[in-house]
Amino acid sequence: MTDEHEHIVDDLAAYVLESLEGFARARVAAHVATCAACARRLEEYRAVVGALPMGLTPVAPPPAAWVAIRAGARERRPRASRWAWPASLPEWLRVARWPAVAALVALLVVWNVTLQRELTRRAPGPAPGPEVEALSRRPGRIVILQGTGTQGASGRIFVAVDGGGHLAVSGLASLPRDRTYQLWFVRTGSPAVSGATFGVDASGRAWAKVTVPATLDDVRAIAVTEEPAPGSAAPTGTHLLDALPWR
Amino acid sequence: MGNFLRRRRRSPSGTGPEEPADPELLRGMRLGDESALEALYARYGGLVYSLALRIVGDPELAREVLQDTFLRSWSGREAYDPERGRVPWWLMGIARNRAIDLLRSRSHQARLREQEPLTVDTRARESDPHRDPADAVGLRRAVTNALQGLSTVQREAIELAYYGGLTQAEVAERLRQPLGTIKSRTREAMDRLRELLGPFMEPQGEAW
Repeated sequence: MTDEHEHIVDDLAAYVLESLEGFARARVAAHVATCAACARRLEEYRAVVGALPMGLTPVAPPPAAWVAIRAGARERRPRASRWAWPASLPEWLRVARWPAVAALVALLVVWNVTLQRELTRRAPGPAPGPEVEALSRRPGRIVILQGTGTQGASGRIFVAVDGGGHLAVSGLASLPRDRTYQLWFVRTGSPAVSGATFGVDASGRAWAKVTVPATLDDVRAIAVTEEPAPGSAAPTGTHLLDALPWR
Repeated sequence: MGNFLRRRRRSPSGTGPEEPADPELLRGMRLGDESALEALYARYGGLVYSLALRIVGDPELAREVLQDTFLRSWSGREAYDPERGRVPWWLMGIARNRAIDLLRSRSHQARLREQEPLTVDTRARESDPHRDPADAVGLRRAVTNALQGLSTVQREAIELAYYGGLTQAEVAERLRQPLGTIKSRTREAMDRLRELLGPFMEPQGEAW
């Protein structure tokens, strides 16, 4: 075992407790990605940390908490339910749904190419909030993300008419289990809003659902950063991908 | 401990045989089934609230964390990945991150003051109308025993990092010990817990 390995082993417990910062944290993350023994130890420590709160005695929450949760849940139905096919859908529509999906995808590809050309002609520089609104809220619109912090990476955000969105990404590096990529809507004068957390497959690709903010008036940028899993409350990593209009 | 583990496997998530397992509840929630959310809340609401209360030390803030945790799990803002552990770990992870974010948003001095409730015994506040099956009690006892199996300084290092959200440097400053000492204590504590909780540490399992 090398000195480097011994140093990392000393830091693994603190790393799992999210009690390491800066260089020490990055060093552990980099080492674990290439050391099977440390990756195994990390999983064991993660299981211990997962078990820790199970030792607490449950405390009955105030009844108002469930009332608030139920009310909040009714306001924001899970994204998946919006996309579910209604049980009462006529049979001919059920048969036609997949060709319709294929046609929609083809349409999005055409929009994508058109938008690429449109954005390529644009002069670089910051764009105002309404520009984001225009790009993001138009039916079936696609917002393009390009690798500012990772060369060769790119992404597309597909925003549907009802505000639901999907993100397609390629060219990002695989992350250890305790790290995640996070999509942000960066706002002026208020904290950034998380749109999604996601990992990439072995080929560096991902497809994730995106929670698009109700209003994009004050959004000045859209970016992807690397964060500690399961995601951060505010972006802490450097921008790996940025929306092209804001470069 | 072995018998306990086998019993838990027959009855995932501490529920009876007729009750859906946690992953089934999450599937229901993804489809917008409010009763699935209610069942998950009944199962883990008390534990999430207890964790939040332990971290933030304030019932109002703890309630905020509790609500936010379940609404995030409902809306899909926090996606569950079975590869990263069991459903309650995921829920507790959301709650802990949210609680520590709240804690870190305050001034350092106020934060230190709020860490005092770390030693408060929550049993006095327990009324526990939520289901608390025998399996959950057994697991709680196992974790409590494991924590008691640590030396005082080891337990302190773990609790300040986990419940206090302190970095290793902050723990060292707080305890007036060299950083290297704190890192060693944390590692020793984690190794000891790993040893004591060994039979429960199956990330992919259905032990609870």
